[in-house]
Amino acid sequence: MIDLVEVSRHFDGKRQVVALDRVSLRIDKGEMVAIVGPSGSGKSTLLNLIGGLDRPTAGEIVIDGARLNGIDDDELTRIRRDKIGFIFQFFNLLPTLSCLENVALPLHLRGWPRKRIEARARELLELVGLGARLDHLPEELSGGERQRVAIARALSVYPPILLADEPTGNLDSHTGEEILALIRELHRRLGSTVLIVTHDPQIAASCPRRITLRDGRIVEDRRQ
Amino acid sequence: MNRLCAWLLLAASVGAAQEARSIVEEAQRRTRTQSQRYEGTLEVIGSKGKIAVKRWRYERLGSHGSSKAVLRFTAPPEVKGVALLVHNHPDRASDQWMWTPALQRDRRIALQDRSTRFFGTDFSFEDLEERDVDQFDYRLAGEETVDGALSWKIEAEPKKTRASQYTRSLIWIRKDNYAWVQMEGYRGGRLIRRVRYLDLELVQGIWTARRLEVTDFTRNSRTVLRVDKLEYNVKLSPEEFTLQALRRES
Amino acid sequence: MRLARLIGWPYARKHVLRTCLTVAGIALGVAVFVAMHAANRAVLGGFERTVDRIAGAAQLQVTAGGFGFPEEVLERVQAVPEVRVAVPVIEAVVDTGLAGQGSLLILGVDMTGDRSLRQYDLESGEEAIIDDPLVFLAQPDSLIVTREFAERNRLEVGHRIPLMTMEGPKQFVVRGIMRPGGFGKAFGGNLAVMDIYAAQKMLGRGRRFDRIDVAVREGVPVERCQAALRAALGPGFEVEPPEARGAHFESMLRGYTFTVNISSLFALFIGMFIIYNSFQIAVTERRVEIGILRALGATQGQIRGLFLVESALLGATGAGLGVILGGAMAQLSAAYIGGLLEDVYGVAQHVEGAELGAPLIASSAALGVLASVLAAWIPSRAAARVDPVQALQKGKYQVLSVGENRARRRAAAASLAAALICLAAGRSAEAFYAGYLLAVLTAILLAPTLSLWLSKLLRPLLRWLRPVEGTLAADSLIHAPRRTSATVAALMLSLAMVIGFAGMAGAIYDSVTQWMDQVLNPDLFVNASGSISRRNFTFPASLAHEIERMEGVDQVQAVRHARVIFGGVPVSVVAADVEKLASKVRRIVIQGDLDEMYRLTAQGRGVIVSDNFADLRGVRLGDTIALPSPSGLVRLPVVGITRDYTDQQGSVLVDRSVYRRWWQEDSADVLRIYLKPGYSPERVRQRILEQFAARQRLFVLDNAEVRREILRLTDQWFGMTYNQIAVAVLVAVLGIVNTLTVSITDRRRELGVLQSVGGLRQQVRHTVWMEAVGIGLIGLVLGLALGAVNLYYTVEMVHRVAGLRIDYQYPWGVAALLVPGMLLVALASALWPAEKAVRGRLVEALEYE
Repeated sequence: MIDLVEVSRHFDGKRQVVALDRVSLRIDKGEMVAIVGPSGSGKSTLLNLIGGLDRPTAGEIVIDGARLNGIDDDELTRIRRDKIGFIFQFFNLLPTLSCLENVALPLHLRGWPRKRIEARARELLELVGLGARLDHLPEELSGGERQRVAIARALSVYPPILLADEPTGNLDSHTGEEILALIRELHRRLGSTVLIVTHDPQIAASCPRRITLRDGRIVEDRRQ
Repeated sequence: MNRLCAWLLLAASVGAAQEARSIVEEAQRRTRTQSQRYEGTLEVIGSKGKIAVKRWRYERLGSHGSSKAVLRFTAPPEVKGVALLVHNHPDRASDQWMWTPALQRDRRIALQDRSTRFFGTDFSFEDLEERDVDQFDYRLAGEETVDGALSWKIEAEPKKTRASQYTRSLIWIRKDNYAWVQMEGYRGGRLIRRVRYLDLELVQGIWTARRLEVTDFTRNSRTVLRVDKLEYNVKLSPEEFTLQALRRES
Repeated sequence: MRLARLIGWPYARKHVLRTCLTVAGIALGVAVFVAMHAANRAVLGGFERTVDRIAGAAQLQVTAGGFGFPEEVLERVQAVPEVRVAVPVIEAVVDTGLAGQGSLLILGVDMTGDRSLRQYDLESGEEAIIDDPLVFLAQPDSLIVTREFAERNRLEVGHRIPLMTMEGPKQFVVRGIMRPGGFGKAFGGNLAVMDIYAAQKMLGRGRRFDRIDVAVREGVPVERCQAALRAALGPGFEVEPPEARGAHFESMLRGYTFTVNISSLFALFIGMFIIYNSFQIAVTERRVEIGILRALGATQGQIRGLFLVESALLGATGAGLGVILGGAMAQLSAAYIGGLLEDVYGVAQHVEGAELGAPLIASSAALGVLASVLAAWIPSRAAARVDPVQALQKGKYQVLSVGENRARRRAAAASLAAALICLAAGRSAEAFYAGYLLAVLTAILLAPTLSLWLSKLLRPLLRWLRPVEGTLAADSLIHAPRRTSATVAALMLSLAMVIGFAGMAGAIYDSVTQWMDQVLNPDLFVNASGSISRRNFTFPASLAHEIERMEGVDQVQAVRHARVIFGGVPVSVVAADVEKLASKVRRIVIQGDLDEMYRLTAQGRGVIVSDNFADLRGVRLGDTIALPSPSGLVRLPVVGITRDYTDQQGSVLVDRSVYRRWWQEDSADVLRIYLKPGYSPERVRQRILEQFAARQRLFVLDNAEVRREILRLTDQWFGMTYNQIAVAVLVAVLGIVNTLTVSITDRRRELGVLQSVGGLRQQVRHTVWMEAVGIGLIGLVLGLALGAVNLYYTVEMVHRVAGLRIDYQYPWGVAALLVPGMLLVALASALWPAEKAVRGRLVEALEYE
């Protein structure tokens, strides 16, 4: 499902920073993987590269059979929107849009017919347990609820891959549990490949596969 | 214009009036004639020695104070036919008109600025105007020999009523015949112009200079006027000294 | 200051583009201001310098309007004891007929006396002519030209120049070439001196002079001589120092200067909005920084000072650039205005390059800085009031506080009430202009509220167009009123200006056309000067009779136009055969009975005045007016007021009998020719040319040509204002660019999210474009609305300043063009920011906090 071959990512600044250093990795369909490591170890960079938000300095990335190297921004976006759902630590909901609109956003971007979008968005919000909050604005929701909306948005087209960057990092532990449970539930029900970047050992422990990064390299890749 | 005649026509003397004013008066008396005609040749010698020649024919009726005169240019070709009519008045500035044949028009020339040069010569309009005895105060400044002749040297200052470009002038009048021999005009102590009356000749009983030499010290140029075919008391009709006549005779 | 360098500089450097835009806003405003003033001054200065140089040592000038006066007047002037020298002058600007040389100022003088007033500093010429005016006088084809003119035309002494005189083409001979400098520099060196009688003949002046130049007797005060001359000549003559001509010229230009000043102020005003906008944004963006500074102990005053110093520096930079740009623009404008004056007013002047001069540079720099500081005043006060605790807590800050908006609305209501009171209060100029300002102020105060409402109205529409991009664009407008409203206000002002101006121009074109239809109905016009606004050459009246006898000619009306000074201002006197006029022309009556006014005027018992004359000079039907003429004041009652666009300062129609009696002249500058039915104008034109052109200078124009010429002049008159408005709109558009660059920074995260959930670049662009279009749309709605108000005031102002009554006609056509035009411009101004938005790094955008 996800193939990385010798992927490096450098950041050029006054001092060159090597965020990822020749990382090779293969993740199969339906896996649920936790990526752990101290801050600055390259976790988020890895996730962004897989999600097509960023491009590698060197190496090759193949997502669901599509090579990301050498394609233009719009093709990258198309791959992203068809195959990948994002869940962010800070939710990244658009504050001026209602829950329904936020969830509908990717569908609109795909140019779906309105009726179908409406039906899908409701379905998704019900799936994450927010069927009653369709018209609320993000600011009227609790943190957990917001993340649920974000998850619903990430699932909009039921993408084969779900990427979550510290999905519980901004939530209290109880709510974090709930969100994690939701993700696990969705993983089970939808069979998506899930990657979670976290530094929470508990979450990491709950994933079947755990990859540990340090200084841009994989130092451990353990299935548990 | 008449001033020119006044100088041209100074003639020999009667008695010896020692007082300055009476000398000038006597000089004026002796030049009084009914009319006059002559042909003048004017040579303007510029500071670089370049010479320009003009010729005219001159006729005058009456004398001092109320004379009338016509001056008609005969050369060079570019001014040929241009004529000047002058009416002198005893009490005010003269009236002058000019006829230009090319335009078939006469124009009045207002003599407003007396220091203006007379048509490119070293004479100023004022130098050519009649200088009436009564318009100046005189003082005898001694005796000098000019061109070999003993002369009175008289200083003249314009009266307040008279506007002049000169603050002071000096006149030399020959003692033997009351003829003007030289005039110098000063402005603020500086010599502006000198007129010399040369080649004195007795014409019809009047001592007349046949050659006038004017030097302009501000421009450093000289004009010489030669007077030919001079006649006094010729028969002239007053009709010839009108604007109509001026237009007719073009 | 140090704070500004420490804090402000890095900020400015970080936001180079915005800083540039802000500076550009002020720079353009200042540039327009500088250009207009410098150009105006260059034109006026050119005129005054020419007058001054030509005047030479003349201390007083005797004139009797554009008709001149008989030669005898000269003797009356010379007889005045206080006068030292009085010399006649004829002055006219003519076409050289030489390719690329344009106009030549012909100065006819009497050389015998003239040298005591003017220095003819000849560098070459026949030796004789330098010394002897006689040679010059004796040869009436003599011409003295300047070295500049001679060099440009490769002329040497003895060369011939053909000039078209009233007696047909004549060869003139260059008899002297003047040294440059002084007199020889008058009219930019395009100067030719000829004998005054030759000039009379050439221009068809008869035995008349235009002017007498007077030098006062030594020791006599100029005022005493002036009084003596006035007493000697009577009230029909103007006895003024040469400088007074400049004042008359200026008064003639008043309407033009006024319009141009109003629009240049508008441009500056709009520039202020850009500054205001930038600072408003800067204050919100730098809240945290301000909070930190405050927490570190900066006082409110220091914070305010920081922003004010920054604004002053920006203002100074903008003003500096503006002065440079304005200087360049001034050159072009001066040439343009110069041409305009010559064409529209027929006034001789020669622009000699616009120089800015220290006072103008200083005042425009001051203006730029002042405008900038003023515009930054409110934002810096807001900055000073930032609460450090709140500022350091992250949160929403864009929304205007309810209180702020309420205060604005209250102020708007008060200002509207005051404006209405001014409107009701009556006719005084102060009340009117105060009302105008207050009305604009009301609009500015209401702009944020209205723009918010409109954004909300716009949301469903945009959403319907593009569910995601549209909604986000609308939300961006709604949630960042600070960012949006100033730009909207600037746009509103510039569009209101366009509407006001277009409405006015449209109405003027309409009434000019209507006037032409009714009054300008002859089939042919025979003209002595070749241009409809120049009246330098005149025909003898006999020509009218000759043409009238030609086959196919029904009627010829001989008309003479010239300006006289009435109430200190040059107005046109039009002398025509009113009985003939009455048989052919139905004038547009404003007041009075047309047949009655024609009858009385034809009998020499009254005059008909134009509506602008009546309004500008405060003259009513039945009033007796006194027109100066060489024979004294012509006192006649106003028996009718009609619409007439002959002269912008007003015109008075008198019968030719009155003209002959009082002006002692019987010439014409235009012959209006009516043909019998069935005769073709083209054929008759040919025959007139065949018969007269050889011995008479004349130009024959047909009706359509004259109309085209009048419309062209009208266009030209508006041309400068078109350009200024274009600048104003450009400044407003800069505002859009400015707002959008800020917007894409503010929306960076949002746009990042959009992309991360699958938004294509095109979709990101769309949302930026739509925001721009939204701003454009709101600006349009407000601008077109305020335009209606502005047009009202403009119409009223035209009436007050130009004395023209024009109808209130909303320019729907222009408005209809503005809508797509403005939206396209808005879209265009979004192109670059949109590209910048899609080029940003996605990961950074998402992590941006």
